[in-house]
Amino acid sequence: MKTRKLALLLTAVLMICLVFSGCERKVREDSGAAIAGGSGGNPNKKKVDIYGGEEVKIAYIAHDLGTPNNQGWKEGIERECASWPNIKIDSYGAEEKADKQVEIMTNCINQQYNAIIIQCSDGAALAPSIAQAEEAGIPVITLNLDCSKDTIHSALVMAVDYDAGRMAADKMAEQIGGKGKIAIIEGVPGLERTDNLERGFIDTVKEKYKDIEIVAQQSASFQKNTARTVMESFMQQHADLKGVFAINDAMAEGAALAANNKGKKGEICIWGADGEKIALEMIEDGSMAGTIYTNSWDEGSTAAKIALLMMSSDYDSAVLTETPKVIMEPIVVTKDNVGDISEEDRW
Amino acid sequence: MKNFNWSKYSKPIILVAFVIILSVLKPAEFLSVSNFISILTSVAAIGIMVSGTIFVFLIGGIDLSIATLLSMSAVVAATIITKMGGSVIAVVIGLLAALAVGALAGLLHGYITTTFAIPAFLVTFATQSIFLGLAQVLSNNNKIACTWPAFAILGQAIVPIIFMVVFALVSWYVLRKTVFGRYVYAVGGNPTASEISGINVKLVSIMCYVISGFTTAMGGIILAAQSQQADSALGAGFTNDVITAAVIGGISLLGGEGTLPGAIFGAVLMGLLNNGLSLMNVDSTQSGLVKGLVIVVAVAFDAMHHADQSRKKAKKVKKGAAAPELS
Repeated sequence: MKTRKLALLLTAVLMICLVFSGCERKVREDSGAAIAGGSGGNPNKKKVDIYGGEEVKIAYIAHDLGTPNNQGWKEGIERECASWPNIKIDSYGAEEKADKQVEIMTNCINQQYNAIIIQCSDGAALAPSIAQAEEAGIPVITLNLDCSKDTIHSALVMAVDYDAGRMAADKMAEQIGGKGKIAIIEGVPGLERTDNLERGFIDTVKEKYKDIEIVAQQSASFQKNTARTVMESFMQQHADLKGVFAINDAMAEGAALAANNKGKKGEICIWGADGEKIALEMIEDGSMAGTIYTNSWDEGSTAAKIALLMMSSDYDSAVLTETPKVIMEPIVVTKDNVGDISEEDRW
Repeated sequence: MKNFNWSKYSKPIILVAFVIILSVLKPAEFLSVSNFISILTSVAAIGIMVSGTIFVFLIGGIDLSIATLLSMSAVVAATIITKMGGSVIAVVIGLLAALAVGALAGLLHGYITTTFAIPAFLVTFATQSIFLGLAQVLSNNNKIACTWPAFAILGQAIVPIIFMVVFALVSWYVLRKTVFGRYVYAVGGNPTASEISGINVKLVSIMCYVISGFTTAMGGIILAAQSQQADSALGAGFTNDVITAAVIGGISLLGGEGTLPGAIFGAVLMGLLNNGLSLMNVDSTQSGLVKGLVIVVAVAFDAMHHADQSRKKAKKVKKGAAAPELS
């Protein structure tokens, strides 16, 4: 009796496995057909007469609408479309959750948005939704983080990551005279952009600056307040600390506040990355030494331009062999050139 | 030594043990005035908040909206101060407005829970979303910079510690030395008996929520001053931190049990833990594990203390019950 039950159970498990593997193969074959369609392109592709006044809906799906970066992109998208009253932009925040982004993506596909601009919380998790949107004829433009490589979509607009880390390392090394102890304030591991940024920084220090020693690396989870506490312990441990590289500006600002509180304003070379407004102000007043600035408004506006082009033309992502990329210009900002960034470019 | 009541003195023992361990492992870095100031400033906001939320815990209530109420109050203060130009008067008005918002939120919690008999868990669970939404609308989902000297000073040097000490002392005094304090314990211990003995349970409960809202707003102000900015995510994680500090400090979430020094101990222990792990360069992925273990030990000591007390009480009751039979 027991053996029979076991056999039945095993058969059921095998059946389920077969059904799932069949489904998976079906999806792969389908997406392959769409791309291989080549000259035929995507039959669901819709061309919209935007400039003739046809109503258009664009969805902007943020990882977390509350961050300056996401706000910068949102405003850039809105500015780009401001002259066309027939373009409606809806912004959605996913509270830093990939599953919530998947849910929002599904809703947007069902509501037949004409284009989607998204900063993926997790590239791999969002890939099936992005493929589904593209198959439904909705162009998807990703911001900063690509989804999995084999999910080809309309465009990726991104800031430099690995090279930005290298740039920060070179400039910091110059500022501290090529030697001394430095520390790194990390974000949350597993995010491609910030992982690459950190890797670029560490690789450069190890390859080029033998007299610079990375004495501590701690996470502050991208939070300004946590970075303040981490910086206090860095200063406590290493009185002769010369530099700190924080993976984002919010953490660099927290570190600078901790140094200021300890009467060490400007004594420790504190670097961030992003280029948000508050960080630029801190560079001006000497609390921070520099940041890698990317114009988020411009990045959002670029994504919107691509969305408009995809919607209003015969361009079809189904014929692409890889996702086209637009890489935003990174600017190394220090006290010497921070004044060059005008008020309207500060986000 | 045999009769030494280990469980009764568990909190000071744990604190001293921590200080000794860290002093041996990292003598130069740990044993300095500036490091102790760092530890206390890092938990000042939690200390201020727990000084008020303890009232809610003592009556058997809970406040799940701490994090978002904190953010909303900070955003209110920052918005008003910015609009008024950052002068001293602007700062005073901004702070008063934020504190009023906190107290009003508490009043709302207290009124709804007592009038409609809805559990505080549900009421504050709902209001946390409302406060978050309001903070997002008010701040337009942006960070509001608060760098004005008159405001920033509230978060600098030992100012946050002074606020924490003042709030803790006032709270301790009210709980230990006033009639209201005794009412709070009575309501938490047995609301029905309190009602029968003439205590206005509804009023006491509402007052507790108002105090909690007020201190949460103050915590938000100090936190915004420390980070020189306010946004809707400022308080993220603080509901857990405040409840954890209270639980470590031996406050029963069922009400009626716990003391303010216990809650402050909980907050300081969290600061010591963070500082110690950071000084020893423990990776953040492992620090959660260590923190969890220490919290379990602290709570276990406290449970032992309560078990001891219950046994003693039971013995007394037995003796009392036996006496009449003998006579």
